[in-house]
Amino acid sequence: MTASKIVPLSAAVTLAFLAAFAPEPARGAASEWSVNPQSQVRLITATKVAPRTGELWLGLQFRLKPGWHVYWKNSGDAGYPPAVTFQPADVLGKPEILWPAPLRFNLPGSLVAFGYENEVVYPVRARLQPAPASTPSSTPQAKPAEGAPAGAPEPLKITADLDYLVCQVDCVPFRYTLTLDQPVGDRAEPDPEIAPLLQAALDRLPKTTGEVAGVTTEVSLDAGFTNGPDLEVRVRGARADAGKTDLFLESNDALEAGRPRIRVLPDGVVFHVAMKPRETNKPLPARTPISWTVTNLVANGRSFSLEARRDVEVATGAAGQPAGSAPQPPASPPRLARLLLSAFLGGALLNLMPPVLALLLAELFALRAGERGRVREGAAAAATGIVGSAWLVAMLAIAAHRAGLPAGWGAQLQEPVLAAFLAVVAAVVALNLWGVVEAPLAPADAAPVSGTSRHLLAGLFTVPLALAWPVPFLQEPIGYALGRGPATVAAVFAVVGFGLALPYLLLAAVPSLVRTLPAPGGWLPRVREGLGFLAGTGAFWVLYALSRQVSPEGIAFIELALLAMALLAWLRHREGSGRTFRAVLAVGLLACAAGALWLADHNRLVPRTAAALSTTQTRATNNTIPGG
Amino acid sequence: MRKTLLSLAILSLAAVPTFAGNAVGDTAPTFKLTAMDGKTYSLADFKGKTVVLEWSNPNCPVSARHTREKTMIELSKQHGEVVWLGINSTNPNSGDYMKPAEELAWNQKNGINYAVLADPTGATGHAYGARTTPHMFIIDKDGKIAYNGAIDDDPPGRKAKAERVSYVGHGLDAEKTGKTPDPATTHPYGCSVKY
Repeated sequence: MTASKIVPLSAAVTLAFLAAFAPEPARGAASEWSVNPQSQVRLITATKVAPRTGELWLGLQFRLKPGWHVYWKNSGDAGYPPAVTFQPADVLGKPEILWPAPLRFNLPGSLVAFGYENEVVYPVRARLQPAPASTPSSTPQAKPAEGAPAGAPEPLKITADLDYLVCQVDCVPFRYTLTLDQPVGDRAEPDPEIAPLLQAALDRLPKTTGEVAGVTTEVSLDAGFTNGPDLEVRVRGARADAGKTDLFLESNDALEAGRPRIRVLPDGVVFHVAMKPRETNKPLPARTPISWTVTNLVANGRSFSLEARRDVEVATGAAGQPAGSAPQPPASPPRLARLLLSAFLGGALLNLMPPVLALLLAELFALRAGERGRVREGAAAAATGIVGSAWLVAMLAIAAHRAGLPAGWGAQLQEPVLAAFLAVVAAVVALNLWGVVEAPLAPADAAPVSGTSRHLLAGLFTVPLALAWPVPFLQEPIGYALGRGPATVAAVFAVVGFGLALPYLLLAAVPSLVRTLPAPGGWLPRVREGLGFLAGTGAFWVLYALSRQVSPEGIAFIELALLAMALLAWLRHREGSGRTFRAVLAVGLLACAAGALWLADHNRLVPRTAAALSTTQTRATNNTIPGG
Repeated sequence: MRKTLLSLAILSLAAVPTFAGNAVGDTAPTFKLTAMDGKTYSLADFKGKTVVLEWSNPNCPVSARHTREKTMIELSKQHGEVVWLGINSTNPNSGDYMKPAEELAWNQKNGINYAVLADPTGATGHAYGARTTPHMFIIDKDGKIAYNGAIDDDPPGRKAKAERVSYVGHGLDAEKTGKTPDPATTHPYGCSVKY
C-alpha cells in the first residue's frame, strides 16, 4: 500500500495557508501517481472547489506501458475489472464507476479480453450527501482551520481503495490507497487541467439511443437455430467505422456469448453472436437481460459508441423444446424473396468488375468467333462453370463459418492465403489473355475455339476473379444465409452464381444475340491483349487489400512471385520447344504461385487467431497504417 | 436422389457439435493426463465420484494468491469425499511454463497435496473451455458438469476469507446432499490460460 498519509488537519492548514497567501486556491485535483513497472494510476477530481451537495466527478486515471491493458466491466475471457471503494462513504454515498467504450485484445488460445490500453480515465460519479449539522468526528471532513476566512473552501479527504489487474499476456495485480484533498465550498469551481481530462473520458462513454438523433436499435434473440441461440444486434441510422466497429456484451447468466460477426449495411450495422446455453440441463429463460455496447459508429460526422440494456424475449422455434433441438423457423417469404433478388443483382453487378469484365468480353468474342451452332453449348458450359464454382465457394463459406472464421462477403480478403490465391488467379487470367499462358481457360489466341471444356473452365475462373470485389447487395443475403444454415447458404450462393452467369444464360437462351457483337477480325488478338491489362487490375486490387493483412516485405515478395510467374510463362511461350524445358518451367510457375500463398501466410500482420475475429482484424493493422 | 444427398449433407454438418461440452449438464470431456509426479490420471478412473478440476498456473499471481491463502488446499481437505485435480495447460513455449519436476517441487513446498496434471498441448483445457487460472469445474458422480466458473465472488481478494462466497464450496456442499450447485455457472476470473 502506498497511501499518501496527509492528515486532514495538516491538509486543512495547508489549504488555509494557500487560501490566505497564494494567488491561486489549493490544487486538490489529483492524488499522487502510484507507479509500478506496468502502469501508473491516480485519483482525480474535476473540481478545484466542489459544491457542498450534488454531483462530484472523480476519476481513476491509468497510464499503461505499451502492450498492457486494464479491464472493462466485463473483462472477457480473463482478468477482472478494477474494484474500488471510496471513503468517506457517508459524504460520497455509493460512487459509481462509468465504463468508457472498450477495445478487444486477442490472447493466445483464441481467448479474448475487453479493456483499455495506453491511457484511460474511468469516470466516477459521486453524489455528495448533505453533511449533518453536527458531524461526529468519525468523518474525515475537516473543520476549517483556525483563522481561515469564513466561507473559505474546506478540504474533504477522499480515499480510494483500489484493486486492479493489469495484463499483457501475463497479469500483475495491484492494490493502492489513493488519497486527495477535495476543497468543498459554496461556490463550485472546475479544475482547468483535470476537468477537460474527465470531460474527454465522459465523451468516450457510450451513449444511449435517445442521446443520438436518428439512431435506432433492435435486439433479438432467436433460439430456433440448430447451432444454438443467435443474438442479433441491429443499429440503424449510423455508419460503421470500417474495421473498428465492434460489439461488446456484458456477461449473461443463461448464455455465453461467442465472437460477434459484423455485417455492415449502408445505413447501419448488424451483429450476430452465437450464444451457447450455460446450462444444458435447464430450459432457457423466457426473457433474459442483454447489455450491449457497439463502439465506433459514425453519424453526422461524429464518432460515438452506443449502449443499451434490455430484457429480450428468447424466441424459440417450437415452444417447450430445448434450443439445441428446435427446428429452424421458416424465413418470412417476402424477406427471403427480397434477399434472393438482392443476391442475384449483386451477382450480376460483379460482371462489371474489371477482371471479370475482361474475361467476360474475351469469352463473348470467342463465342462470336466460334461455330455458329455451338454458341448455346459454350454459353451453357460457362454458366455451369460459374454456378458450380459458386457452390464450391458456398461450401468454403460454410466451413469457415463453422470454424468461427469470418465468412461474410468481404471476409475472403481478410484471409491472406485466400487473397493471395485470388491475386494469382487474376495474374493467370491476365497472362492468358496476353497469350503467354495457353492454359485452357480462355480461348488461345490462334484459332477460334469451340471447346466446351474451355468455356467451362472460363466459368470456373470467373468466380475467383469476382470474389475479390466488394459490391452492394451481397452483404445482407450472405450474412443472413450464414445465420440460417447450410441449405440457405447453398441457395444464396447459387443465386449469386446465376446472377454472375446472367450474360451467358441470356446467350444460352437466345444464341443469336451473339451476332450483335462485331465480327472477328485482325483486331481481336489486340483487343484480347488489351483486356489482359484489365484483368491484371484484379491482381493489383487484391494486393492493395492484402496490404492491410500482410507486411510490406511480404507484399513486395508476393509481387516478385507474381512477376516471376509472368517471366516463366513468357519464357515458356517464347523459348519453350524442349519438352523437359517446358515441364521445368511449368513446375517453376506452380512453385511461384504456391510461393505467393506461402508468403502471404508467413507475413501476416495479424495472427491467425486474431484474424478469426472479423471485427477486430484491422485494429492491429490500423496501428501500422499512418492515418489509417 | 439429389434431395436425399443434400439433406444427408446438411444433417452431417448439423450433427457435429452434439457431443461432450463444457456447459453445465453436458457430459464432462474425458482426459488422460500425466501428473507432475509422473502418474497418469484419467477421468474414467473416478466414475461414481465427484471430481473438482482447478486450472492452475503457479506463475499466475491470481493462482499464486489462492495458493498463499490456501483457498483450494483447505477446501479440498474439507471435502475429502471429492477427487481434486489441478490442471496446468500452460504451453511449453510460454514464459510461465514449469517443467513437471520443478512444478512438483513448487507444489510440495507450498502445501499443494493434490495431483496437478500437465496438459501442455492445451487439448484438455480447450475441451473444457478453460479460460482463466483459476477456472473451476465440478463434475458430478454421473460424469456431468455441475459447476463451471470462478472459485469465489472476490476476484481481487479484497474481502476477508470468511466473507467471500465460495461458489465451489457451496457447490460441493450441494453435491454432497444430492442437490445441484446454485449458482451453477459464474464468470471465472484470473490470468488467461497460457495456451
